[in-house]
This record gives sequence, structure tokens and C-alpha cells, in this order.
Amino acid sequence: MKYAGIDIGSRTIELVILESGEILEKYQTSTGYDPVGAASKLLKGHSYDRIMATGYGREIFQLAYEAQTITEIKAYARGVKELFPNAQTILDIGGQDSKAISLLSNGKIKKFEMNDRCAAGTGKFLEVMANALGFRIDQFGDEALKAAKDLNINSMCTVFAESEVTSLIAKGNNRYEIARGLHASVVRRAVSMLKRISISEEIVFAGGVAKNACIRYLLSEALNQEIKVPDEPQFVGALGAALLAGN
Amino acid sequence: MNNNMIKLMNDGFDGEPSKRVLQYVKTKKEKNHPIVGIYCGYAPIEMIQSMGIVPAILCSFSKVPIESAETVLPANLCPLIKSSYGFIIEGTCPFYSLSQAVIAETTCDGKKKMFELIADIKPTFVMDLPQLPDEASARDNWKNMIINLKEFLERSFDRKTSDEQIERSLQSANQKNQLMEKIFSFAALKPTVISWQEMYDVAFIALPSTGEEIIPTLKRLIAKLEKRVEEGFYLGNQNSPRVLVTGCPIGGDATKIYNIIEASGGMVVVPDSCTGMKTFMGRFEENTGDPIGALANRYLHIPCACMTPNNKRLDDISKMIDQFQPDVVIDFVLQACHAYNVESYKVGQHVSEKHGLPFLKVESDYSDGDIGQLTTRIQALFESI
Repeated sequence: MKYAGIDIGSRTIELVILESGEILEKYQTSTGYDPVGAASKLLKGHSYDRIMATGYGREIFQLAYEAQTITEIKAYARGVKELFPNAQTILDIGGQDSKAISLLSNGKIKKFEMNDRCAAGTGKFLEVMANALGFRIDQFGDEALKAAKDLNINSMCTVFAESEVTSLIAKGNNRYEIARGLHASVVRRAVSMLKRISISEEIVFAGGVAKNACIRYLLSEALNQEIKVPDEPQFVGALGAALLAGN
Repeated sequence: MNNNMIKLMNDGFDGEPSKRVLQYVKTKKEKNHPIVGIYCGYAPIEMIQSMGIVPAILCSFSKVPIESAETVLPANLCPLIKSSYGFIIEGTCPFYSLSQAVIAETTCDGKKKMFELIADIKPTFVMDLPQLPDEASARDNWKNMIINLKEFLERSFDRKTSDEQIERSLQSANQKNQLMEKIFSFAALKPTVISWQEMYDVAFIALPSTGEEIIPTLKRLIAKLEKRVEEGFYLGNQNSPRVLVTGCPIGGDATKIYNIIEASGGMVVVPDSCTGMKTFMGRFEENTGDPIGALANRYLHIPCACMTPNNKRLDDISKMIDQFQPDVVIDFVLQACHAYNVESYKVGQHVSEKHGLPFLKVESDYSDGDIGQLTTRIQALFESI
């Protein structure tokens, strides 16, 4: 039996196909303005027996396909449990939302926190800021780590933070230090979310933003503990969905 | 869910409780009963009714007038206050138009200051609500405030009341409230036989009605509900997550939270807010010889988050959990309502530690912009049962 999991996020869509519990194939694409169209293209030519959808586009996908759905929260919990069986705390920062999840030892969700409607402190925030500072998003974290210190950024709202960044640039500040300050502000927000759900010994950081080296570094420093990051953190939701499709 | 279930009230207003109440208020006005506008559950309606005056709950649950309100009020204010004010400056609240005077209660700073902005439009009586309900002086102060209100109403409406009339009024309210509790208790059945919409509909009309007026209707509804039980009708199924919703008042556009719960497969079995069960709980002490004192005692014990400490809210939640057996508790906080927002931490601790139930706080307003986010959270909450 082949089980597929598809995570239709605000910025990207991931597809994972499992056979006998092993990952057979995995793909990623941009969501764009037509999530179902983009998902259909991704699925073209792939066969599976059952599919489970997650992510913000799950409901619209369910209407177009014969899919079951689960929330991102459950999908991430399941995916992380597979990769790190002892993990009890998960931080997931995606394209436009972020969540902190605490798990019971059997892998069930104990408590979760999710950001409100605004995209403060998420992938979208970093993307806008990278743009404003002339960095490529995939190099933003590495570039920020080159700074000797971080400049304090007070605004968390993407729009306010952009104006704050503009005024820091106008004052002649170093763009690397501004970049690091922006990363630190994302981490401060993530840490307070993690503290609300309680922090355990093993923390897993997943979602696309986990690919950012500066966020990983500052998070580990702020919590004073090692942070586990899956090899391909953006696929954890789709993996969890595929595993749940097989249940 | 049984599609052929007979509507509970079945009077042409099902799902539109404010239209039903408007018809009631208009009918009373035609019979020469004066109307007084009220804003919240602390207004002692039994005293108002003892004078033959009709309490009309003023509009506050629509997002439509918020844009007008924001020309004067700050945007980051509670939507309920903005909506209330917007309705008045737009002149779109029919209950306000029908009212000759307004009773306002100092339940929060935002309302208090908003009332100043509308005080010159119609005679307005602001009730200074004591906020330390356990203090010995609180009850006396509140009783004095009710006496002042009585004098205001007597003056403004040229009507009189007496201890005997107030006593009769509160005794009949006790019967009404007892029947309302009976109606809510049908949600304690598994599966429930009454929907949130039906409880909401009944509560809306029962609140401003006198005992004499509404008791026959309530008895008829109870008979209907008993029939549903006999005939095996129910809503949802054995596995539908049962939800206790506590927090800020939920009406109109804020009922999106109830709709999301239902669309996610859950059943609201406890609407614990001022638009739900809260205003019908607790009895007035009868035949004390001091009916205004009896009113003061009962009203001061409404567990609104404006009170400190507000331990009664936690005790009441515990009782409701025992009676209604919810699977999860959702605390609904309106944006910028500091009292409910801060108190939510205590509620969450209480619910998870004392009762071991999953708990979710949601902070929202009247707009539709966060329906997707709220749906994800509520679905995830249900997945965690």
C-alpha cells in the first residue's frame, strides 16, 4: 500500500509518498494563488492508495480530491514522533504561522499554542525583511550570523518592522546587524510561545524556517539547550500526514 | 442529527432571536409600557419589570457599525464597545430608538468612558458596580446603587414600585430561571437534544420577559424537549466532542465561534456567558422583607471577569463540567478585554489541573478574517481529545 501526505501551506506545498513505512518520494512546490492547481500539478503522475491532506489549504483540497484531512498540529506531532521518538516539545515555524506543541510520552498532543491571524515572526516576516535588506531568503540566516552584534528590533508586525528597518538603514546602521536583530526578535517570540506550553528536554524545530541557521543558533542559545532539527524540516507535516493516512 | 426534528420555538423567528425580541418590545410599547435600554447582565431587570417598564438589551454584536465607531473610538478597543457606540451614532439600533432612557453598568473602563460619550443623547443612569464582591461594603454599596436606580426610573418614567411589587417580580423570576436551567439541562444528555442556537434563541427572549409572560412558553419548550428524548431525537452523535464555551458575551457576529465548533464536528453543550446560562443562574432569596437586598445579593454574585477575585467563576465552571460532561473547554476572549484575557490563565490552569480537560483560549473580534485560523485551532483541540 502507498500512502501520500500533502501539506498545503501558505507559501509551499509538500508531498510525501510512503511505502511500507519508508519514504518513497517527496516533492515541494510553491503554493501561489491557486493551491488546488499547484497541488494537482505536484500529484500528477504519482500513484497512491490513500491520501491525507493538511495545512491551510486542506479543506479546499478535500473538496477537489477524495482526501481525508487533519490539522497541521496533529501532522507535525506525528511526523516529529516518527523522526524523534522521545521529543516532547515541537516548534514549527512555517510560511505564515507558527506553533508550539507539547506532546505526552505516547505522542498525543498535550497542549499547543498558535500565532494569531497576523504573520508576525514567521517565514513571511523573514522573507519581507530579507528583501528589504537585499539578502536572498535562502542565505538570510547565514548572512545574519556574520554580524558581530544584533540591533534591537522592537516591532513584531511585518509592516511596522519594515518601517523600523528602513529607519535603521537611514541612520547608517550595518545591515548584517539589523538582520541579526530581526532574527533575534523572531526567536524571542518563539521562546515565549514555547514557555507557555512548557519546555521539555528534547525540542524539535521543524517547518521551513528551521532551515535558517541564525534562528537555530539563537534559539539554542536562548533556551540554553540543543535543538534537534530534521534533515528536511519543511517535509515534517507531509510526512506526518502520510503516516496518518496509513492508520 | 435528525433533519426532521421540529424546530424548538417554531414561531417564525428561529435563528433570529433579536427579531423576536424586537417584536416583543414593540408589542409592549404599543400597550403603553415604557422601554429602558440596558447593556449587561448586572442591570437588575426584576426591579425594572416591577414598575411595568420593559428592559431592552441594546445592540452590541454586529461588526457593521464598527467602522463608524472608529471615527471616534480607538481601533484597538473591545469590539462590543465599538459596536454599541457605532449603533448609537449611526442610529441603527431599534432597541435604542424605542428606549426612553438607558441604564449603563461600569463593568470595564472602555464601556465607562464610552457611556460618557452617549450620556447626553438620552437620560443615562450609570450604575457604579463594586468590583470586590467579597468585601462586606460591596453588597451595601450595590444595594444603594439599586435604590438610586429605582429613584431614577421613578423620576424618568413617572412610575412607582414597592417592596411587595419587587418581591413578586423576583419570585416570578426565580420560577423563570429555574425553568431556564431545566431547558439548559437537556444539553447534559449524551448526545445532547438541544443545539446552541436553540439555547441562544430561548435565552434572548427569556431575559427581558417577565416570569408571567414567558413561563408558559418555557413549559411548552420543556415538553417538546422531553418528547425529543422519548422519541430518541438528538443532535450530533455519541462521538461529537462536547464543548463548554466560557468567557466574553457571544452574540451576533461573535457566534462565529459556535459555528466553527459545529462545522468542526463539535456540539456546544455549555454556553457559559452573559448571552447563555450566566444570567439565569442563582436564585433570589424570597420573603426576606428586603427584596432590594435580595436583588443586590444575587446580582453581585454574577461571576464576571470584572470582579476580583472571581473565584465563583471557577467554582461554577467546575459545577458545569460535572453536570454537562464536556470533552474540552474553550475560553472566548474579545479583543482588548483585559479582564477576561488575563483571567483566562487561571481558567486554563483550573480546567486542565482540576479536571484534566483540554483547554483553548481564543482571542477574537467580530470580523471573519480569522475563521481559518480558529478552525485549525479548534480542529486540533478536538484531535487532542
